[in-house]
Amino acid sequence: MVVPLTALAIVVAGIVALEAAAPTAEPTDRSVQGLPPLGIEDDRPCRRVVDDQTVMEIRESFTQGERVSSTQVFRCPAAFDELMVTYAGEVVGDVLERRGGAWVQVNDDAYALETGPLIDHRQRSGFNTGLSVWLPDGLHERIEGVGNAEQRGDVILVRGILDRTDPNDGGGLTVRAEEIEILAPVTEFEDPFHTLQAMVAGLLAMLALVSVVWARRVARR
Amino acid sequence: MSVLLRPGAQDLRLIGFYLGKVLLGLGLVMLVPAVVAVAMQEWNSASAFVIGASLCIIVAMFSDARLATRRPLTWAHGMVIVALAWLIGAIFAAIPMYLGGRFSDFLGALFEGMSGLTTTGMSVIHDLDHTPVSEDLYRHLLQISGGLGIVIVVLSLFAAGGARIATLYAAEARDERILPNVIRTARFIFQVAGTFGVLGIGALFIALWNGGFTPGRAIYHAVNLFFASFATGGFSTMQASMIYYHSASVELIVALLMLAGTLSFGLHFALWRGDPREVFRHIETRTLVVTTSAFFLIMCFGLLRGGTYDTTESLLRKGLFTLISAASSTGHQVNVGDSYLTDWGVLAPAALVGAMAIGGMASSTAGGIKAIRIGLAWKTLVHDIRKILLPESALVVTQYHAGKRHILRADTSRAATTVLLLFTLTFMIGAVGALVYGDLDITQTLFEAVSIGSNIGISIGVVAPEMPNGLMAVYIVMMWLGRLEYVAVFALLGYLFSLSRGRAKT
Repeated sequence: MVVPLTALAIVVAGIVALEAAAPTAEPTDRSVQGLPPLGIEDDRPCRRVVDDQTVMEIRESFTQGERVSSTQVFRCPAAFDELMVTYAGEVVGDVLERRGGAWVQVNDDAYALETGPLIDHRQRSGFNTGLSVWLPDGLHERIEGVGNAEQRGDVILVRGILDRTDPNDGGGLTVRAEEIEILAPVTEFEDPFHTLQAMVAGLLAMLALVSVVWARRVARR
Repeated sequence: MSVLLRPGAQDLRLIGFYLGKVLLGLGLVMLVPAVVAVAMQEWNSASAFVIGASLCIIVAMFSDARLATRRPLTWAHGMVIVALAWLIGAIFAAIPMYLGGRFSDFLGALFEGMSGLTTTGMSVIHDLDHTPVSEDLYRHLLQISGGLGIVIVVLSLFAAGGARIATLYAAEARDERILPNVIRTARFIFQVAGTFGVLGIGALFIALWNGGFTPGRAIYHAVNLFFASFATGGFSTMQASMIYYHSASVELIVALLMLAGTLSFGLHFALWRGDPREVFRHIETRTLVVTTSAFFLIMCFGLLRGGTYDTTESLLRKGLFTLISAASSTGHQVNVGDSYLTDWGVLAPAALVGAMAIGGMASSTAGGIKAIRIGLAWKTLVHDIRKILLPESALVVTQYHAGKRHILRADTSRAATTVLLLFTLTFMIGAVGALVYGDLDITQTLFEAVSIGSNIGISIGVVAPEMPNGLMAVYIVMMWLGRLEYVAVFALLGYLFSLSRGRAKT
């Protein structure tokens, strides 16, 4: 029992050390410039029916057209329902063209607006978070690149109506864009090659092959 | 007085031998994303998968060469092998994940590995939306491997003798043998998954392509969606989960796949041989129809009363889909996690918790207490009430249909209610345990505990990469317990106890 447990602990420790040795870049100068400040700093949660007072307070303190974050919207969707908002974030994944426009997922998390994607650095900032945005014809054509494992997509500033239960999206929470501005164009990042990890992989692959041959010989005997 | 016998070297050798076979299967699973990573030129991901696969293969070959034995498997061996396989499997599954650099620490990667294999579908990955294709595929492959029952599938491929491994089938929380031979049963499970795979991936590809995806992206999403849906897993390729697709047709196909996944393989077999009546007569189908209908009515009442949704389409696409996702123990989300707390009122999330607790059918890819136990517990209750009401001399006999007509016996009732009680206890421990950490309230912690303990995956927002390590460890154990439905884990604990305290065999 002790031997396999010790071996397992050594393997895990080795993996942790190998990950720590990964070459990384310093994610500096990646903050998106030209972001308008958030309209309100309030990100209190509100529960439907129970916290109607909070909903009203947030709604009254927000001036239409000001910038909101997805976190604020998710924590109190009723406060921003059917209001004109400004929203900024990175287009990720795909541009889903439909009749009359396209759906895009626009993230406003730290990877989108501050540090850049977790490609060449290890500044982990939690889950992605963002809103669904409907870009009508004439706007979605301006998107030149979307975020994926190699790049940060276009960072856009959207001005549109936030709908808590959009009837054209089966009741989803959406922003119907009326105008957009490209704040930062698509940016590629290179995942630095982890030489040590590649060497360990090569060594272990050879050991695995040798062990297969050895096990077959033992079985034949 | 019973005597506790200490397992000998030969017992441990046998256990190690079969664990090696399971790791061999896991290693081969890792080679698939390794190939994809090379094709996509994701070099760091490729080396991570090669490391994971090589370690699995080395351990497997060592056990093959040094621990091979012809000793027969006993019930206790089977239980211990299965309990350990899911634990060690999750640790090895976490290796390439951690090397990908998207987890706070190894515990986070272990959480993801356990969540994948147990088809829970909760995730603690950082920056999922920029994750390499191969790493994402790997997460989904883990779900389909776990959903089909990795131990039984792997052993039926690599171990000889159906009778020898039959005990593992039951240990892996599969109590309904479809065909007399376990290997033929495993082949049938493959056959069902393959058929649904071709149909599901094809339908999803068309719906996604039609929905604006490029053909390449459509096939990538279709494959991953199939794995996560049929395995009732719930992982997603994008953080927005099902919200990302904005497509009623994709949601419909996924809902059908989730329902297919929650149907027991025994009922799939009945359909296969052209006996749909068996599906409607089965106690599990009836239980699920009754409970899910009741929960849907409660949910609709709650959502309409609170004014959350006001159209039929919204109730169906947001309400019914979420309920199917919960009842099938999948965990695909069409709502942002916070909205269950902020926008759904109290009644609708309560209905979800009820559906999540019950889960799907036994001997399926689904988790939860399972419909058969709820059905049997209900029958037991009715049986006891009838006994009280009828004259003492009356003979009360209760029957139920599960493959064939059965008479409800006391030991069957006790087994069902015991597991039901254990699940309830786990939910309570998980809920109270989470209250210890930070500023969560009981609504959030209970919702999350039921979702984790039943291997569902719908989150109200407690599970996150930044969650405390203690809570993460508790949730890992809960996922493990929930998947194995306790018995195998208790057998493992008993084995460990007898290792230290038992009397040596003579």
